[in-house]
Amino acid sequence: MTWDASAISDAVQNGDDQLVVKLVKEALRQGTPATIILDSGLVPGIQRLGELFQDGEVFLPEVLISCRAMDRGVDEVKPFLSAAEVHKKGRVIIGTVEGDLHDIGKNIVRLMLECGGFEVIDLGVDVPVTSFVDAVKTHSPDILAMSALLTITMTNMPEVLAALEKAGLRDRVRVMIGGAPITREYADQIGAEGFAPDCASAVVEAERLVKA
Amino acid sequence: MADSLRQRFLDICRFRRSGDLCLLAPWLNDFWMETPGVWVSQGAPAELADPRTLRDYFRFEHIRVLREIQTGLYMDKRLEVLGQTYVYAIPPIIPTYEIRMLGEDEHTLSLVNEGGQTVRIDKRDPQKMPMYLGHPVKDRATWQEYKKRFDPASPERFPADWEGYATRMNAKEEPLLLNVGSFFGFLREWMGLEPLLFALHDDPVLIEDMMDTLCEMEMACITKALGKVRVDGAMFWEDMAFKTGPLISPKMFRRFMMPRYRRITDLLRSKGVDVIFVDSDGNLTHLIPLWIESGINFFWPLECAAGNDAVALRKQYGRDAILGGNIDKRVLMKSRDAIREEVMAKIPYLLETSGYFPSVDHFVPPDVPFENFVYFINTMREVAGLPPIGSSKA
Repeated sequence: MTWDASAISDAVQNGDDQLVVKLVKEALRQGTPATIILDSGLVPGIQRLGELFQDGEVFLPEVLISCRAMDRGVDEVKPFLSAAEVHKKGRVIIGTVEGDLHDIGKNIVRLMLECGGFEVIDLGVDVPVTSFVDAVKTHSPDILAMSALLTITMTNMPEVLAALEKAGLRDRVRVMIGGAPITREYADQIGAEGFAPDCASAVVEAERLVKA
Repeated sequence: MADSLRQRFLDICRFRRSGDLCLLAPWLNDFWMETPGVWVSQGAPAELADPRTLRDYFRFEHIRVLREIQTGLYMDKRLEVLGQTYVYAIPPIIPTYEIRMLGEDEHTLSLVNEGGQTVRIDKRDPQKMPMYLGHPVKDRATWQEYKKRFDPASPERFPADWEGYATRMNAKEEPLLLNVGSFFGFLREWMGLEPLLFALHDDPVLIEDMMDTLCEMEMACITKALGKVRVDGAMFWEDMAFKTGPLISPKMFRRFMMPRYRRITDLLRSKGVDVIFVDSDGNLTHLIPLWIESGINFFWPLECAAGNDAVALRKQYGRDAILGGNIDKRVLMKSRDAIREEVMAKIPYLLETSGYFPSVDHFVPPDVPFENFVYFINTMREVAGLPPIGSSKA
């Protein structure tokens, strides 16, 4: 049996982690380069799932199990790849702003970004302004992603931007924001470069920001 | 003689009462815990710091949830932390867990709460939602242990003086609502979201056993409760959607939830309860038709930020959907013109078509200024032909 990129892609979309592992191992045994397996099988599968999620054709449980299948597949090819090849799209720091402990949306975005080829450093929920700034300083991310579910906590977003500015880091990172009360207008108003109205769009927006 | 509030409630639910502004509270119209205090600091009368006085001030109508019957979320779990109160809700487990302190640092306190959840509380603001560190149900073995807490025959599930309680409730003129549980929401409370979503795929037998256990308990309690108390509406709590859609697929809903909902709603209707409510945040576009098919007919809070539109829902579902909420809380932070525009875009049409109970799309947060909220209430009263609050005629 020769390796079949579309079979791997389908198995990722179906969330069949055991089949993904079997197919990836077989492809590696046949001498297929790990980067080809990643780029032609695993990534297209999860990208297609993201599109289906955005279109309302699949839902969160399917995304979770597909991400798990993707992870298992990546675990198999990882020993043959450099870190840059695994997370080649860029590095994202993500967190829910101070005072806000809602994490469902943030966690979904994290998963989608990871599956979409980004390295994600998750600072968790209720993240103080200083922690965002320290993380940008330490990890030099391409993107800082912030989430808020509450109208009374979204006002912490401009404080993070101001603190980045004060620390001389603002021009070193692009900022994207999201969450139930967040709008494009609000992003423009506070000077965030990126905004995603939903989890699936977050990947597209992150891709746009790293290319910009 | 004026109709009783109970009659008004039922008439609106049955689309027989156009133009009636019925602001129900504390169910539907309520405030964040901090809101009254903030409003007093903004110049509201000092007595409005008491939420009950605040509700009277705005002419809210009292509706009673039969919380003494332990079938829904226990809403009143409290723990004193450095002079402040951590308030939380847990599923109707009997017995509850003993609170167990796990540790603390300068700013936080970690503990197992009465729901068996491991949480980290911010000592500076215990009222803030805690961080969830662990849940009591992890697999089939932990479920077997947890499951024992859903015995419908536990004596504590109903008030000790059940006959007297029923007599007292039946004498009230306000609408009475009975909690009838939750299928998704409770499971998430005891498993956590991600483990639950994985289990829906990985272990459907476990999910079905958990939902069957809940269903059997609710059916037994509903039968007992309705044998003695006249109930005007039943309430599910789910919170199973996020900004753009449901947390599970319609296919999973149909497989796991719909058959169990159907058993409960059929039982309720067979006993004359035809107002069946569900509380869920998030975008309900995919869920409302599924709930209607499941026998549920009342939806709240219809969050605007998640894309819900009560006017469009009324046009789409007609009398199949009783609606509540959908006034955009974010607009109440803006100008009077914006508030008027929000009210006029929704309230005249929804009151005219009946089957609608106005409220903000969830509780009123403290960043809504007091003056704006007064203006909002008075704009709705103007639509309904009522004098403004604070006037001698109100």
